[in-house]
Amino acid sequence: MSAIAAKPAAGAAMDMTSTLIGIIILLILIAATYFVAGSGLAFMALIGVIVGGILIGFGVHFVPVGGAPAAMGQAPGIATGVAMLAAGAGLAGLFGGAWAAELGLVVATITGAIGGGLLMAVTCMFVNFIYVFGMGIPSASGKVDKDPITGDTQKEFKSQGTEGHGLPFVSYVGGVIGGIFGGGGGTLIYLMLLDLYKVELPGMMNALPGQVLPIAITLAGIFAIGIFLVNAVLAAYNITGTIEGPHDPKFKRFPRAIVACAIASALCGMVAIMIVAV
Amino acid sequence: MESIVFGIGITALAGALATVAGAAENTESDIGSQGDPNSQVQLAPQMGYLHRIFNKAIAGEPPAWGLWIALGAGIAWAFMAMQINPILAIVLGAALATFVQGVYATTAYLGRIASLAKFGQPVFIDILKSMTTVTMAHAFVAIFAAVTVCHLMNAALGHPFPLPLLGLVWGIALGAAGSATGNPFYGKERQYQNQKYGAGVPIAASGNIVRYAEAGERNSLDNGWFSARLGGPASGVCFGLIVFLELWRTVLFEQIGAGWGAIIIGIIIILVFTVIDRYIEVWARKNFGAYVKPTEEAS
Repeated sequence: MSAIAAKPAAGAAMDMTSTLIGIIILLILIAATYFVAGSGLAFMALIGVIVGGILIGFGVHFVPVGGAPAAMGQAPGIATGVAMLAAGAGLAGLFGGAWAAELGLVVATITGAIGGGLLMAVTCMFVNFIYVFGMGIPSASGKVDKDPITGDTQKEFKSQGTEGHGLPFVSYVGGVIGGIFGGGGGTLIYLMLLDLYKVELPGMMNALPGQVLPIAITLAGIFAIGIFLVNAVLAAYNITGTIEGPHDPKFKRFPRAIVACAIASALCGMVAIMIVAV
Repeated sequence: MESIVFGIGITALAGALATVAGAAENTESDIGSQGDPNSQVQLAPQMGYLHRIFNKAIAGEPPAWGLWIALGAGIAWAFMAMQINPILAIVLGAALATFVQGVYATTAYLGRIASLAKFGQPVFIDILKSMTTVTMAHAFVAIFAAVTVCHLMNAALGHPFPLPLLGLVWGIALGAAGSATGNPFYGKERQYQNQKYGAGVPIAASGNIVRYAEAGERNSLDNGWFSARLGGPASGVCFGLIVFLELWRTVLFEQIGAGWGAIIIGIIIILVFTVIDRYIEVWARKNFGAYVKPTEEAS
């Protein structure tokens, strides 16, 4: 089948063959880790990394990103790249979550999630601030006639020859939710890897736990940032360019990203675990 | 009590430095057309509009700033490990990272503009000479301020991440906040100053950027001057608020309720910003009203 004859994959439909192959690869990766590293902390770390990756991939779909057209007021959303904006929010969340690591998994993960949401709340507010007070443009969605949350009509505020502009309220809420998922997911990956490294590194390096702690923190931090970017970029490919938020028809594509992010996170997680657990 | 007062002081200083970093970052990015509006600078010659605008966008703003600040922080960290005074170490780290930014800006400009040769766009050596140093100066201010923020988080507030990792995290966050806030102001309001105020740029007008200034041809220093009026300061306040509020809620409230205090305060801050955003949206709809087609041209 040539590229021209292939059906366009722009809809929300899942290709069942690819999905099944993906799930089989995922199970193989999980089973391989189980056989090599056992059912202890390393296996739990892998599950944590996969869950964190899925949260990131899902969260990226909420973030309203307009890319280059948004910078000219030609499309709604935030004027930057999908993966980069999600990474900014998620890593700010990871910063907060890592700080709260000693308060336990639940508190630290939620702290990270709120940190990501906080960055997006401030940033999205300033996007509307610039559009309204700097450029005199009210926000208008190009994908829906009414804002699903506030019920505000959109069409009459849209400039001629554009697809909309600014951040309607539903996009703002989507941005905050995306930041929350990203921050929580990134922190979860960091915490699971940190727990594993704190236990495994002293024996591996023949040193005291206090001596290896900075190495464990750095290693877990670098892997968390790396795995975050892998998942954010994968989800960005699924979105293909721009998305307005949870009300955008492209949002329905998220199941594909969840499968892809689970496989990619499993592979990255396996590498992150194998460096200490084998 | 003393440690809390100390923590609040450091938080305020970090917030102020982050504001400076954000403002310098956005102005640097707009002089170099680093953000999304670079698409129009690149498109213009292809539509027949030759220009003298600087364009160094070969990476998005967040990863580029992640690189430069992680580099500055890494070098400063190495100097500090050699027992050099932290302030001197940060200055040296920021200076060396700025040279990397300068090399990046030079090769990026030459590469991007040379690729437009088939459309007749010349490479202006005087633009390269005068713009690169200005972007480097702004980059130095932003890198120095951001690395100092990271050092304060690590050394004074006790964040567990080492300095280079903090540099990467906050560099990407700085680029994300700066590009989100500053890009529309440069892209719509400056590059398309010839379009109607208060409306988006029609897609049909893409590429027709403003190329002439009050005297002679417009260059990117004029754009930096324009951005420094609103886009830069707004990006600065945006990034400053992010850093300040994130540190403030942790330093003051993390001890309350085993971490839940900081979470609840974080949720309250998010709700406050949500209310402000909604107010701005409603204010604009009421005061600006619905879109009206321009009629002057037709008559």
